Amino acid sequence: MSNEYAILPCNGLDKCAGCISREVALKMMEQTESEILCPVLYRVTDARYNKIAEEKPLLVVDGCKTRCASKIAAEKGLKVAKKITVTEEAKNRNMEIVDGLRIGENELKLTDDIVTELLKEKEKDEMLEGKSIFPETYEYEFYQKDKFIFRLPSTGFYFNENDVWVYIVGNKARVGVTDYVQKSLSDIMFFTPPAVGSEVEQFGELGCIESGKAVFEIISPVSGKVTSINDKLVSFPEWINENPYEKGWIVELELTELEEDQDLLLDYNAYLPIMKRKVDEFHV
Amino acid sequence: MGENTFMGVPRDKIDWSPRIDYNKCDYCMECVDFCPHNVFEVRENEEKKLIVKNPNNCVVFCRACGKTCGPDALSFPNKSETTKAIKVIRKEMKENE
Repeated sequence: MSNEYAILPCNGLDKCAGCISREVALKMMEQTESEILCPVLYRVTDARYNKIAEEKPLLVVDGCKTRCASKIAAEKGLKVAKKITVTEEAKNRNMEIVDGLRIGENELKLTDDIVTELLKEKEKDEMLEGKSIFPETYEYEFYQKDKFIFRLPSTGFYFNENDVWVYIVGNKARVGVTDYVQKSLSDIMFFTPPAVGSEVEQFGELGCIESGKAVFEIISPVSGKVTSINDKLVSFPEWINENPYEKGWIVELELTELEEDQDLLLDYNAYLPIMKRKVDEFHV
Repeated sequence: MGENTFMGVPRDKIDWSPRIDYNKCDYCMECVDFCPHNVFEVRENEEKKLIVKNPNNCVVFCRACGKTCGPDALSFPNKSETTKAIKVIRKEMKENE
């Protein structure tokens, strides 16, 4: 597959980060067969861009955490293949973005860095898939509230009070969110994964998932090192809605302090009343 | 186990809530719209138009409102410090049982 995208940048003139998004989009367009969707025109009259948006995988470039480009993508019902936020990219590289709107040398370097990384990632998109040590299906108990049914696996799983599960095999673990999270967020549209190789403490962040109106930070139930992410979720975040325990799993970790972490893990019997309470309050 | 505990610890013993940097906040109120737990309060007629009214409503370890904040004006306590503090309180509670 060639490395072309339909690019929806923030392009906003409110902050320099918006101007950088625009630069990133331009550079990507120059170096690949990508095409740009002007967010302003797209917002007003989408006929001009509908075909491009349909034919090419969508790259959303948000300037800041206001996420205007993401919101436009959500509004237009677009499927997002890849998404970045300029201010986060700067933070990850310990770079400061200037206050004004003009792009300086530093911002140009950031732009180049981001583009280089995007191109590299696109190349290694077709990753090899190893055989998993985790089961493909599990047994569930059910809690029903009105017409909503919440699944909860009864054996082998641990949870934290932030509605994130962990399934442990030896010193490896798989992590994901519970049915309560996917149901309360409703249609999940974006998955921002953590970096493979990064280390996380118990209750540290393992990326986020977003629906049209809300962002959910995945709070790790255990400490460990990220060994792999479910990168299919970047293109198919709706898998988390379909089954957050099976094909909607989020990351795999190598455990570093399981014994220490165990004190703050809940088993099925301890988590179930917490989930029930949240479900009951949510539907009031 | 009631709604005012987190990991068995009374919620008001855990210091976890957003801190507003008033030099950065532009009062867009995205965080207010976002947070379903009534943590913030809008005060239209005061200089600080936004305050953290109910810090103990904030979900421990949740930083989601911070991710909706364009000007990056919301910060949170250190997570591992908070985890340590929770463990200490749990230990004390167990010893006092």
